[in-house]
Amino acid sequence: MLLGAGLGGFVDGIVLHQILQWHNMLSNQLPPDNLVAAKVNMYWDGVFHAAVWVLTAIGLRVLWAASRRPDVPWSGRTLVGGLLLGWGLFNVIEGLIDHTILGLHHVYEYTEQKMPWDMAFLAFGGLLLLAGWALVRAGRADTAPRTAYGA
Amino acid sequence: MMKVVVAAWLTCCLLLTGPLAQACRVCRPRVQAQIHTPDYTTNLLVLLLPVGLVLLIGLGLFFAPALKSRLTPTPRP
Repeated sequence: MLLGAGLGGFVDGIVLHQILQWHNMLSNQLPPDNLVAAKVNMYWDGVFHAAVWVLTAIGLRVLWAASRRPDVPWSGRTLVGGLLLGWGLFNVIEGLIDHTILGLHHVYEYTEQKMPWDMAFLAFGGLLLLAGWALVRAGRADTAPRTAYGA
Repeated sequence: MMKVVVAAWLTCCLLLTGPLAQACRVCRPRVQAQIHTPDYTTNLLVLLLPVGLVLLIGLGLFFAPALKSRLTPTPRP
């Protein structure tokens, strides 16, 4: 789940911050409308990326530990479900705190109507949570022994 | 042979232009000043809040069985 949250954070940072350039971490407080403001936002984007990198690294370590637990099924559905669950959890928490409560930034800054974009982001997070939960539940039926996979 | 010549030429170009390629001396101090404001710690904590929360939830779920068994008193035979 932590690995999914970390990768979800990278999707946010790479796709929405850098490729589409819809927002930056502090773009609602410091609009990047000049070079200096853009570079300051770039710095805080870097801090965010560093944090989700740490999240991803811890997620890998936890996944390694979980793979050795007898109560965790060796299942592709559980793995993908956990990844989606983590991504959805990250989107919902980040969306609620950064977009709705603190207003650090909005999903799409270049419009007057920012709320629908923020709500769509939260709804997408909710869908990921549901899909992840369904896959994790389905994965409980996967009881193949690990030796079947050469593990 | 041609590859070596091209590689040497590119290296020379890089070495010659290297000292000229510098960060903007005008805007860099202004950028640094806007990053390291009195709000720096607040910005940092606020920015890391969602990541920290997700980390706490994830680790809490992972260690929940171990914590539960440690906190639950085992019945004596």
